[in-house]
Amino acid sequence: MHLLLFTIIDNIRSIGWAGAFALLRDGIVLGALYSLVALGYTMVYGILQLLNFAHGDVFMVGAFMGIGVLTVVAGPFSSALPLVPLIIVLFAVSMLGSGVLGVVIERFAYRPLRNAPRIAPLISALGVVFILESSVQLLTNAGHFQYNEYPVFNRLFQPAVFNPWGQPINIADLLVVGTSIVLVLALMFLVNRTRLGKAMRATAFDREAASMMGVDTDRVIAATFFIGSALAGAAGVMYGLSLSDTWFLVGFLYGLKAFTAAVVGGIGSIQGAMLGGVLIGLVETFAGAYAGGNWKEIVVFGILILFLLFRPTGILGSHAIQKV
Amino acid sequence: MFRRVGALGVTGAAIAAVVAMTLSGTASARTTASASTSCNSPLTIGVAYPATGDAAGIGALQWDWANAAANAWNSSHSLKISLLPGDTHLGPGEQAQQVAQSFANNSSIVAVTGPAGSQEMQDTAAIWKAASLAPISGSETRVELTRSQGASKRQTTKGYFYRTVPNDGQQGGDDARYIYRKLHIKNVEVIDDQENYSIGLAGQVTSALKKFHVHVTRNSISQTDTNFSSVIDAIPSSTKLIYIPWQLANQAQQFYVQLHNKGKDIPLFGSDGTDDSSQFHGPGSYVSGFPFDPNNATVNAFANAHGGDTESFGIPTYTSVIANAQAIQAACHANHNSIGRNEVRLAIKHVHLTKAQSLLGFPVSFLAKNVGAFQGVGDMGGSAGFGIYQIQDDGSYKRVG
Repeated sequence: MHLLLFTIIDNIRSIGWAGAFALLRDGIVLGALYSLVALGYTMVYGILQLLNFAHGDVFMVGAFMGIGVLTVVAGPFSSALPLVPLIIVLFAVSMLGSGVLGVVIERFAYRPLRNAPRIAPLISALGVVFILESSVQLLTNAGHFQYNEYPVFNRLFQPAVFNPWGQPINIADLLVVGTSIVLVLALMFLVNRTRLGKAMRATAFDREAASMMGVDTDRVIAATFFIGSALAGAAGVMYGLSLSDTWFLVGFLYGLKAFTAAVVGGIGSIQGAMLGGVLIGLVETFAGAYAGGNWKEIVVFGILILFLLFRPTGILGSHAIQKV
Repeated sequence: MFRRVGALGVTGAAIAAVVAMTLSGTASARTTASASTSCNSPLTIGVAYPATGDAAGIGALQWDWANAAANAWNSSHSLKISLLPGDTHLGPGEQAQQVAQSFANNSSIVAVTGPAGSQEMQDTAAIWKAASLAPISGSETRVELTRSQGASKRQTTKGYFYRTVPNDGQQGGDDARYIYRKLHIKNVEVIDDQENYSIGLAGQVTSALKKFHVHVTRNSISQTDTNFSSVIDAIPSSTKLIYIPWQLANQAQQFYVQLHNKGKDIPLFGSDGTDDSSQFHGPGSYVSGFPFDPNNATVNAFANAHGGDTESFGIPTYTSVIANAQAIQAACHANHNSIGRNEVRLAIKHVHLTKAQSLLGFPVSFLAKNVGAFQGVGDMGGSAGFGIYQIQDDGSYKRVG
């Protein structure tokens, strides 16, 4: 243990303030990605009390949909494409495709089990995980695919937009954080200010009562899956643009960490998912730098266990009162 | 009372059944070890490699080159070989052990290429020995597989393991010498990927560099990592070179890209696991790799059949299959066209491949005794070693050492 302490102290000294700023930058960018995926977990749990473990692989499929678009429209050495329209198309295709995938998963893997014991949809979710991963593995021959193989995206990184303390902040960083904020605000508007949002809140509060009040709960649940999965698809594209390496297993660990973010923030809370995502992103980044790369997962999942033990409602979650 | 007797009876019968099955399985392995096979029909080489899992990408390279070797051999020899794949997953030992056991129980298998990972060999050594099989691996580099190191004993029995790839001690020493003597670098960060191959090689390089009084800092990533931000941000500003003994070349490329996107133009030095120009092509980086001749007709034909990609990580697997085939042929000649596994195993130590046959850039024969500090029985002798390449602006590899 004191060897770890010496390592941490040594690294704090050698990384310095400039390095700490770089960690803050990277932690926020990573946290933004986790937040978007965590939102899907939190929305589905809020409505169905279901932990949709396949959600991380929807993120992975979203990243691959972006690769699919690039394969069709861009040769690997084409840098003449207009960047902004290309990115818009990537987002549109990935969000739409992931949303549809989410609806299909809900329809065939979860809806028939809605009245079954809680463990049944959980097992079904695990089955979906293996189906998605194995399907993508077969289609891609277990290969790795990179967004940065397309030179058009070099403009996202060079030159830097800002350079405080010699630490570049580039367009990709701003794109990830900015888009995440916009999407979360849009989601909050939808949930709080629209009819669909009202129906989602009613269904989350009491599905049976909502149904009796005339809410088509099946459609509301499908819409929830669509929106959550679309956000995961957007996160997939942003992951591809900022970190690039896409392969069939990328969704597994990202999904688990996003789930941790949802729990830490308060599962069922949109603001909690955002807060949890940023917190987990920062904790992972700082732990990886100060304690060492092999401590990242230990720290992140250690936090998950601690929250489940001592504060299962998360930071912004609240206790639900059940009438007995 | 009758219920207790009944329960005891059932338990006893179950134990007897388990013992009987175990004994029959062992007997089966011993029986298949001594079975004879005619050389007039294709002889089977089992190929143990990771067809699925995290390392499926490098497994595919090994399988591709194994098939290329079988095709090359069969087109020019009257004795024919066939390959039987076994997916070891390159994960926990159980899968490798299952493959080893299935190969051991399959009487048609007379030789083995693989497995891929050093830990897998350690986990399966006893099975191969009981089955009289001597695997020839094209990628296991841990020194202890052929040579005791300090308190660590040799992990295989002499005569029951060979490899067509130089080991970590050779690679680590060669790379450290190049870094110090040719590049004149005094501050190196070594980042392993927490796998046995990587940790072993990182240790060898670190101790070799420290003997040159080079300042070495250490860190780790994992093979599932795609975000290297925290590790990159933690690199000391005095670092002049980053040594990455990783198994996944695409990870090396991603690390290069993320490193440069964060404004750090520190050269990378990858080990043979990153030797793949189609995946790792960051200009200015170094790679230690097999000194194969890119103009070789066999290499060219392979590249043409695989979209221009030489998949060079798999070349030692080609060498392994050819070595096995040569041993099988020698055993057939010596035993009147009827051979068992033991005859093949004993013939491997006399295998000699020319530079053109091996594709590795040097001739291949196996050591009969320990040589130097790191090489043992089962390692390649002579001029076996790695070349050092620098990645050019167009992504091609140019030999510099």
